[in-house]
Amino acid sequence: MSPEPLLNVEGLVKRFGGFRALDGVSFHLNPGEVLGLVGPNGSGKTTCINVICGLYTPDGGSISYDGRSIGGEKSHRLVKAGINRTFQSPRPFLSLTVRENVEVAAHYGDPKPGFDVDALLALLELDRFAQRPAAELNSAQQKTLDLARAMATEPRLLLVDELAAGLNPAELSRMADRLRVLADGGMALLVVEHLMGFIDKVTDRVVVMAAGKEFFGGTLADATKDPEVIRVFLGGGHHG
Amino acid sequence: MPDVAATIRADARNRLIKRVVLDTSIAAAVVIGMGVMRGVYSNELMLFNFVVFLALAQGLNIIYGFTGYLPFGYVGFYGAGAYGFSLVVMHLHAPALVGMAAAAAAALVLAVILLPLLRLSGAYFAIASMAAAQAVYEIIANPGLEDITKGPYGVSLSDVFAPAFSYYTALAILGATLLLVVWLRNSRFGMSLQAIRDDSVSAAMSGVSVVRGRTIAWLLSALVAGLVGGVFAWHISVFYPDTAFDLSVSIFSTVFLLFGGATTLCGPLLGVFILYGIYNVIGIAVPQYFQFTYGALIVLLVLFLPNGLVSLLTNRGIRVP
Amino acid sequence: MLTGAIIAGIVFGLYYTLVGLGLNLVFGVMRIVNLAHGDFLMLGGIAAWWLFSSFGLHPLVSAALVIVVFVLVGLPIYYLVVPRLLRSRDSEMLSLILFFGLSQMIEAVTTIGLGATERSLPPRLLGVGPMVLLGTRLPKAWIFSAVASAVAVLLVYLYLYRTRLGTLTRAVMVSRDEALATGIDVNFVSAVAFGISIALAGVAGVFAPFILGSITPNMGVAINITAFAVIVVGTLGNPLGTLLGGIIYGVSLMLMQTYLSSWANLLPNLLLIAVLLIRPEGIFGRKVRRA
Repeated sequence: MSPEPLLNVEGLVKRFGGFRALDGVSFHLNPGEVLGLVGPNGSGKTTCINVICGLYTPDGGSISYDGRSIGGEKSHRLVKAGINRTFQSPRPFLSLTVRENVEVAAHYGDPKPGFDVDALLALLELDRFAQRPAAELNSAQQKTLDLARAMATEPRLLLVDELAAGLNPAELSRMADRLRVLADGGMALLVVEHLMGFIDKVTDRVVVMAAGKEFFGGTLADATKDPEVIRVFLGGGHHG
Repeated sequence: MPDVAATIRADARNRLIKRVVLDTSIAAAVVIGMGVMRGVYSNELMLFNFVVFLALAQGLNIIYGFTGYLPFGYVGFYGAGAYGFSLVVMHLHAPALVGMAAAAAAALVLAVILLPLLRLSGAYFAIASMAAAQAVYEIIANPGLEDITKGPYGVSLSDVFAPAFSYYTALAILGATLLLVVWLRNSRFGMSLQAIRDDSVSAAMSGVSVVRGRTIAWLLSALVAGLVGGVFAWHISVFYPDTAFDLSVSIFSTVFLLFGGATTLCGPLLGVFILYGIYNVIGIAVPQYFQFTYGALIVLLVLFLPNGLVSLLTNRGIRVP
Repeated sequence: MLTGAIIAGIVFGLYYTLVGLGLNLVFGVMRIVNLAHGDFLMLGGIAAWWLFSSFGLHPLVSAALVIVVFVLVGLPIYYLVVPRLLRSRDSEMLSLILFFGLSQMIEAVTTIGLGATERSLPPRLLGVGPMVLLGTRLPKAWIFSAVASAVAVLLVYLYLYRTRLGTLTRAVMVSRDEALATGIDVNFVSAVAFGISIALAGVAGVFAPFILGSITPNMGVAINITAFAVIVVGTLGNPLGTLLGGIIYGVSLMLMQTYLSSWANLLPNLLLIAVLLIRPEGIFGRKVRRA
């Protein structure tokens, strides 16, 4: 384990009314590492992403990124600082063209000077649609565009929320490869996913969450042998 | 590979330059056209009203077309501008151009006070802004403030009356507003506003400051209406609070904008030239006929052509300036 | 003077509940804002004036007629515009624009047909002289209008909670999608709710001359802001919350008129803005802010 993780989440709490969506979750993430966040529906995985990327203000605990505390900071500032995310249901700018969608992120997301939008579009095989409105893309293409938007800000930490949902096996495998390439390039990835095959292929390590806190950390292989993990998953009625 | 990338970039730049040149030429043609018309056509008041609505429809375009907020109370800024101008001219005997600065300041102050309204979503924002405009009217027209605003009895500004100068000032405001829209249509900032309109969360996750973008658009939009209100006060020189805060100003601007098509440069221009043109050609003897027609137009537009005339082309993939 | 203002406020509040109730019913069921609500109210007032001046009909008889006719007018309007509107991408916002257009049409037609003059009905129709209520003297016409409003509100309550169609209506209010999935004829339920809403506006219009003093073709916009303030202060989408909103509005209006009369017109505007900004979620139970 490297001495200084890129992301360190300690005892994070988020309440909605009386409901504790996050109830003291803790984990860390190193550069170049892919961490899977798994758990039954409602265990707080997506809330966790929403808090880290600044959409929600935490009610307790701490988030440190790159050695400084970021809890409650505005999303667009975090984006410029190198944090980005994808959405479970992608939300592109429907009236802008595909290229403009990425251009906005490349302009406001502070990538290195000379960032090449068209090269990114080509890399993700979106170049054919570059001048088409984003509204014309199908859902798999919109997911890719969502990833392109995030990548255009050159994040050092990417939070990936249920990328696999709605993709066919071929698209899924391509996405998994893309995420691995990003990690090999030094990016830290936090991957929330239900599909265990995808988690197995992509992640180095998993954190299992239930009821707003983590209760297992380690490799996926160890997790599947852990009786507590099995109980929670069967009890939660969810089979990856 | 680098050659291909360089070609793509050069292409994109050429396209952008072409667009800006085309858009700017349209803006220039409108301003010059309205300037020439004054020498040719004797009904100056009608021409002046055209300039007023051309600018107001574009001012509304800035906030509605680019950010999706539709302020029914847009007239509030116009009225604030008219009274900002009048108060400075009446009480301080300031020259007209100082009055124009006061008009701009009054609208901007009102816009800053109303900034919290931007936290409301669509329909609530629209109604709250209308309530705000009504509130400002109630204050200015209150007989209790007669010493300051002349209350409901109206103001008279014969000292600075200058039909030609005020007309050309209005034209300058129109020109500046059109250039503003050209800039928004072709700049990254304008693109970021549309991104916020389409999805504010994705926009934030693109690094766009949502609050900053909306605030700038709101202030710019208010500034346009305030300046137009100021130049209206200057040109007309005698008016009542009922005129300066007439809800029809909001209605007309909204109808022109929706009819032509928001977010474009030509849409609002077409809306004003066609609809306000018809309004003037047929005659203003019974304004209710137009109120009825405009009401019916709004209903039909919402049902059948929610994106305006230009959408007949844009839906076919044709770019409209 | 304070108790007097509060009692008068409650009396007025019952009337303002009636003014807002229909608007809130439509919002609750269809999630659209009928910005022509105030204009239907105005039409109800015009109807009462016409029925009285031409046939000498008592306002209560007019109210009964207005209910029938306005439901019959409301249904075709519903079927002409609302289903199509609800299929659009942002129906809440578009409804606002569309009904704003309808509002302009109604105002224009009324002005063309009848001129812009004020019309009123003699208050003696609803009883002569004042009536003492808890030590406060109020015109009988006010009390009468308030009682009539309370009856109308009660009838809506009975409809929603004691009839089958009313139960279905509440189901649609909770979730339109789930109601559709359960096989409820959502379109019919909505149409009836729309008709009732228009009728409620009409009845409020019949009593408007007694409470507001007069009827003018251009009163719609001001009424809309008032009605919206009332339902926002109550709970948007919850018709019974309107009662709370109406009373709060009525009492604040009377307090303003007692202590700051020349600024009373500011009240609905400021109240609306203040509530929207300060306590949107608290009073609403519905999110109206953007994330």
